[in-house]
Amino acid sequence: MRRLRALEPLAWTGPAVVLIALVVLWPVVEMIRSSFLKINRRGVEQGFYGLANYDKLFDEKDFADIMVRSVIWVVAVVALTVLVSLALAQLFNQRFPGRRVARWALIAPWAASVLMTAIIFKWMLDPEVGVVNQIRVKLGLLDALGGASADQLGDASTAMPWLVFVAVFVSVPFTTYALLAGLATIPADVYEAAKMDGASRLRTYWSITLPLLRPALTVAALINVMNVFNSFPIIWAMTHGQPGYSTATSTILMFILKGSNIGESAAMSVVNFGMVLVLTVIFLKVSRWNKEVA
Amino acid sequence: MRIKLAGGAALGVAAMLVLSSCGSGSGGSGSSGDQKASGGGQVTLKMVAADYGDGPGKPNSGETFWKGVVDEFQAANPNIKVDVQVINWNDIDKQVATMVQNGQVPDILQTGDYSGFAKDDMLYKVEEVLSPNVSGDMLQKFADFGKVDGTAYGIPFVSSARALFYNKDLFTKAGISEPPKTWDELKAAAEKLKKAGVSQPFGLPLGQEEAQAESFLWMLGNGGGYKDASGKWAINSPQNIETFTYLKGLVDAGLTTPNPGTKDRKTVWEDFGAGKVGMVNGGPMSIPIFDAAGLKDKYGVAPIPGKSGPLDTTLGVMDWIMAFNKNGHAAEIKKFFDFFYTGSAAQKISDTYKLLPVTNGGIQKLSSDEKLKPFLDALPNASFYPFQDPKWADLNPEIKQTIGGAVKDDPAKVLGELQKTADAG
Repeated sequence: MRRLRALEPLAWTGPAVVLIALVVLWPVVEMIRSSFLKINRRGVEQGFYGLANYDKLFDEKDFADIMVRSVIWVVAVVALTVLVSLALAQLFNQRFPGRRVARWALIAPWAASVLMTAIIFKWMLDPEVGVVNQIRVKLGLLDALGGASADQLGDASTAMPWLVFVAVFVSVPFTTYALLAGLATIPADVYEAAKMDGASRLRTYWSITLPLLRPALTVAALINVMNVFNSFPIIWAMTHGQPGYSTATSTILMFILKGSNIGESAAMSVVNFGMVLVLTVIFLKVSRWNKEVA
Repeated sequence: MRIKLAGGAALGVAAMLVLSSCGSGSGGSGSSGDQKASGGGQVTLKMVAADYGDGPGKPNSGETFWKGVVDEFQAANPNIKVDVQVINWNDIDKQVATMVQNGQVPDILQTGDYSGFAKDDMLYKVEEVLSPNVSGDMLQKFADFGKVDGTAYGIPFVSSARALFYNKDLFTKAGISEPPKTWDELKAAAEKLKKAGVSQPFGLPLGQEEAQAESFLWMLGNGGGYKDASGKWAINSPQNIETFTYLKGLVDAGLTTPNPGTKDRKTVWEDFGAGKVGMVNGGPMSIPIFDAAGLKDKYGVAPIPGKSGPLDTTLGVMDWIMAFNKNGHAAEIKKFFDFFYTGSAAQKISDTYKLLPVTNGGIQKLSSDEKLKPFLDALPNASFYPFQDPKWADLNPEIKQTIGGAVKDDPAKVLGELQKTADAG
């Protein structure tokens, strides 16, 4: 009876463990295995292929550009998201009339499907009928609809900022709420003490709010790093990574490769997986370094 | 982007895994058990088909079409159940590859290519799944393309051809009396349209969706193509480089869709339907789109202009239906195929989607349709993608992704990169 009792926790954690093994671990093993197999386009396995998939991947003409772009994409989106969210969290932490409504409104971009949001932005930017371009014409910023200058998603130099904007737009709600929760945990007496010591507002924010917010900030930023790196729907819906591969990140390349070479696509996934791990480790190192200084 | 999504996706995948494993387990053992018990009981055919309609929920969606066909078939054959999964063109090849890799091979597949599956010995021969009277009625030239090493595996499903559509109102407004026949005339017409305030004189979709088709039509206009007469890859032939240099000239002068390398044909056809585009290459399947957009009877159809005269050929596209041998349902598949080609279904697909039939009987039935006539006439002399070359399957995604760069950057360099892929290993 007692022995059975000892096994009881297993009954509760068991299903979750099985689910994790099935949904997380098994696909990872399968992904790594696929990257060493020769698999033709129809999905038929044709035996062990060694590192040939990786060789082919690293030889892709655009591979280096795409990897660099992926890192810039992650850094830009996460940095902007965190900055905007810090400000928004501060604002929403104040008491003001209509705060409840404003807080609800912030959830909207989070509640809507990312794909839907991306498609709506693509429509708003349509060179012939997009509302953004109609406004630009009315403001005199654009001569005519339909031309190359109205086609901001058609060129990497103007498309990338829009892609980053949409990615920030959909990441801000979660990040803000995470920081808002962090702000709520900071006790009021610390602020009182700072006030009595005559600290300025900026000084209070820098020396009290930010350091005490660090756990929430670290978690929020880390989750964003992983999500943004693996982000697919925004870029795919808005540009397909085109023109050429000039707006593609490694996740997009992985999907495109899936159409011609599943093994190479799996190799790209493994590289992606490694990149996320590396980015995470670097990120954790950096945030711990912060702690030592503080 | 957010944990909710990741969590949802994880749950979804979990549910899918659980459901699919249950499905295949019970389905497999169930049907064989049934057969033994009741002697030729219920058999479920799993079919995967591409969507010729405007997507799920639309009145012409693939789901609606196939449900009509299957309901009629099942009423006549109560022992056979047909389970149709309709997938859009962008995803169907990837999803089928995933099914094959996971061992969940369908019984019937309807998509754009069969040859790879035939080479992997995954298909029934046509004679095993189609009655002789049906296969005898197929257009000979088309049926011949269904053969690998002399044995037929692919069954032509539907076909289509391309021609030039032009907006009559915009042509009148710009003072153009007749559709262009040569590249020089085309450029002159485009300049007149531009002056008349048309934002996209020529609609040029070289984006991901179907860049390989638009490119091929232009290559044909200069005696080029993906391969030369001897069957060698010739993507960066002098003719093709000249073709794309001409196109780049049009793009640079603002006479086309802006940034063609990022525009899908769907978008450009919709723009044509909305009266924003003067000329565009289209097919019978674009007629419903133009009509729905309110351009009915306001457009003309003409042969596609070439460098020195109109094309005497055009891009012909054939889609295929094929039967996989893994689940051993040849007899049931044969019943379904015979039903499809001899009943009203093949006719219905032509009517609904303006796709061209592949049987002599079907073409005769359609010959009175004025709008389809230019395409039916062009069909016998059509040119096709080199899809029987296994390299084509690897090359095609790359063409779709990058060939648009040939009208933005250096044509010789972009086509040269594609040639390199074609020549590699």
